[in-house]
Amino acid sequence: MIKDITLGQYFPGDSFIHKLDPRFKLIFTVFVLVEIFLCKNFLSLGLIFLFSIACGLISKISFKVIMKGLKMIYLLIFFTSALQIFYNKTGTPIEIFGGKITTGGIFTAIFMAVRIISLIFVSSLLTYTTSPTALTDGLERLLSPLKKLHIPVDTLAMMMTIALRFIPTLIEEIYKIMNAQKARGADLENGNIIKRAKALVPIFIPLFVNSFRRAYELAFAMECRCYNGSNRRTRMKKMHTGWRDIVALCVVLLILAAIILLNHFFGAVI
Amino acid sequence: MTVLEAKNLSYEYSVGTPFQVTAIKNINLTVEKGEMLAIIGHTGSGKSTLIQHFNALFQPTEGQIFLNGKDINESKESAHAARFKVGLCFQYPEYQLFESTVYKDIAFGPSNMGLSDAEIDARVRRAAAFTGIRDDMLEKSPFDLSGGEKRRVAIAGVMAMEPEVLIMDEPAAGLDPRGRKTILELIKNYRETTGSTVIIVSHSMEDVASVADRIVVLNKGTVALSGSVDEVFSHADELVEMGLNIPQITKIFAELKKSGYDLNTSVYTSEQAKNEILRYLQKGGNA
Repeated sequence: MIKDITLGQYFPGDSFIHKLDPRFKLIFTVFVLVEIFLCKNFLSLGLIFLFSIACGLISKISFKVIMKGLKMIYLLIFFTSALQIFYNKTGTPIEIFGGKITTGGIFTAIFMAVRIISLIFVSSLLTYTTSPTALTDGLERLLSPLKKLHIPVDTLAMMMTIALRFIPTLIEEIYKIMNAQKARGADLENGNIIKRAKALVPIFIPLFVNSFRRAYELAFAMECRCYNGSNRRTRMKKMHTGWRDIVALCVVLLILAAIILLNHFFGAVI
Repeated sequence: MTVLEAKNLSYEYSVGTPFQVTAIKNINLTVEKGEMLAIIGHTGSGKSTLIQHFNALFQPTEGQIFLNGKDINESKESAHAARFKVGLCFQYPEYQLFESTVYKDIAFGPSNMGLSDAEIDARVRRAAAFTGIRDDMLEKSPFDLSGGEKRRVAIAGVMAMEPEVLIMDEPAAGLDPRGRKTILELIKNYRETTGSTVIIVSHSMEDVASVADRIVVLNKGTVALSGSVDEVFSHADELVEMGLNIPQITKIFAELKKSGYDLNTSVYTSEQAKNEILRYLQKGGNA
């Protein structure tokens, strides 16, 4: 259910990872994601997988929560891995359930699964440990050179902040409306697809109407406080780069070096 | 006769996440047939969580809810049936209107009950009459109405199910004094005409004092006080400590009594105040 969407949710804390400069955290995340794709064998992939687990431990976010976020993509992991089994025909053939698969296929399947899990793990850690505002602020700063090309980076960042800000509000609102319609006997759980789709009408119409109303109100409130999207805005919270960011940078670079070496000296699975 | 009963009811939000909160704990409560019960409490006292148990929208973490002696969470069917027997009108119900006409919106509940068209029509018209919705409004779009009218349409939508127990969560919230009065009057009128049980949830003592037979005060998820309006208001100091307020007129009478006037302090409306002052003057009290 909607309750299980933890992706994009922020869990406040004061761990090492929470305290990283959001700009650097964004760069590091992209860096690690690239590193995950650079891995060619189990040793390098294992290294980066352990690294993501370590990050998870340092962030002090319970693994139960992270696993819950993974729940949505179990199916994706399963299908990608399953496809690999049949796609890859290298290695020793094994006969199973009357079909022929190969050790190579199994290895790539496991490899893909671990890779996807690491990808999701790392990217969800970013949103779990960074508040949406800090995240968009960081993104805005990183993209600010684009202003030279007349791309309205700050306006885009504001739009993103607002969109992120309203996700929890909308989820809460969906719940309220669902409960209100259920209280009038709306049946949302039973029936075939058409019946269920029809049952969504009483939920989405009020949701849209309320969202438009809210958008107007917000726009007026922003105008009343003289918001005009100019690039002259200053920040309440300054971003600081500190020793943590340098430590993290070293770790990420070391891992990159290790992956390149491991890829070079040991055989590739993919 | 008891209609609704909550036994050792507890509910926790977001079990197993860092956001776990106990909303209500160990609540025991009975609602008598035909009474007008008020549940009051400060924001976050668990009022809304509690009432959503009464029609099985929430399943309690612990404890049970009995409707006419039967556990409503016994099966899926009993939970679904409870939705119609216990009509719940949420706070700001006007934000849940969705149909193209007022008529269809009010008919949403009754048609979910699987009633015949004639019965639905009769119920819609009865509910519209209770809430003062004129016939010409029935064919309008609910989105073209004023705030107060929308509120009444939404209330009519719940009343049209003709539930045994009607629960209203903050029915007068966000309305001007006249709007509040109208809404409270129509609830009173509905209850007197149909004889059904009504639970009204509010944080405003003033609103509740004029309509309720009995008050239950929730504080931090537990029942803090319960009893008749007089009994509850006699604990004025505790109420203030819980962030609640006694009606202004009651405060004035309490102050008057302190300064030596022999007045009865169980006064909650200006009507009662008038009568009490007249009584006092007739008795020949020195003013």
